[in-house]
Amino acid sequence: MSGADAPSRQTPDAGLASVPLRAGESRESAARRWIAEHGDSLWKFALARTRSKEAAEEIVQETVLAAMQGFDSFAGDSSERTWLLGITAHKIADHFRRARRAESPRSPGISPDATCMCATCRGMFTEKGMWACVASKWPDIKLSAAEKTEQAEALRACVDALPPGQSEAVWLRDILGIPASEVCKAMGLTDTNLWSRMHRARVALRSCLETKFGRRKEKGQ
Amino acid sequence: MIRFVRDMARVLTMACREHVVLFSRQLDAPLSPGEAFGLRVHILYCGGCRRFKEHLRHLQSLGQTLALQAEIEPGLPADVRERLNVLVAQAAKKN
Repeated sequence: MSGADAPSRQTPDAGLASVPLRAGESRESAARRWIAEHGDSLWKFALARTRSKEAAEEIVQETVLAAMQGFDSFAGDSSERTWLLGITAHKIADHFRRARRAESPRSPGISPDATCMCATCRGMFTEKGMWACVASKWPDIKLSAAEKTEQAEALRACVDALPPGQSEAVWLRDILGIPASEVCKAMGLTDTNLWSRMHRARVALRSCLETKFGRRKEKGQ
Repeated sequence: MIRFVRDMARVLTMACREHVVLFSRQLDAPLSPGEAFGLRVHILYCGGCRRFKEHLRHLQSLGQTLALQAEIEPGLPADVRERLNVLVAQAAKKN
């Protein structure tokens, strides 16, 4: 794992931006307000990622507790919802790191070059940086609802196979559609860290989906 | 104008390995006009990059479908909400 994807060397929430209390609001009343106003969003995010109600509940609990502890340590510079989703993303990543350690200490996940189907090429590019393989055309984007759902499920499986940290960034940025600047603040990343992380994730997702939708052929064939 | 030409020339002389980085970055931040134009010219003659860009669009579209699927799921269940509020009250007492 390279620098941009490495787990934070600080405490899990240390990189998170925060929001101040509203005037006259205690931590407890702020937390109750977060649960009332943003609980559904946090729950749906955690449930979509983990597909386990128990795990989702644990993650939302950890999120609210971390937010209660952390919110006055930082300057608020992102929306409250994004800030909370950022904490949830960290907690989800921690959940999967723990789960992967428990299942397989050397779980490889997917890597961008691992799924190249060519007999001869070893990655996407030649040594000179030109395309080694031209990927196949995927089924039309204008699909029926059933086909689109099926493809979206394939994407979900591929996102699940990404390293923790990358998959959360993909959820926040490419699935929930949160602006890049907000994702950076919520996840405690610089612009270049996010770009690099998103690029690696998208290339890996493309390779993963290529094995499901397409069939690579060697350039020139 | 000089910057536009310089950026465009840089993009046109890049290897495709670097073009794909720019295609991805374009989804997160605007490129300079020269870089964006250079990429548009490049995909006119590069089938590999054209396909890569097509796949990125496809990924974005499927991402939106996943978001819609997640959105129609029921929200925080009442029992979980209740347990959360109890937890918040306990945490507030500790601090």
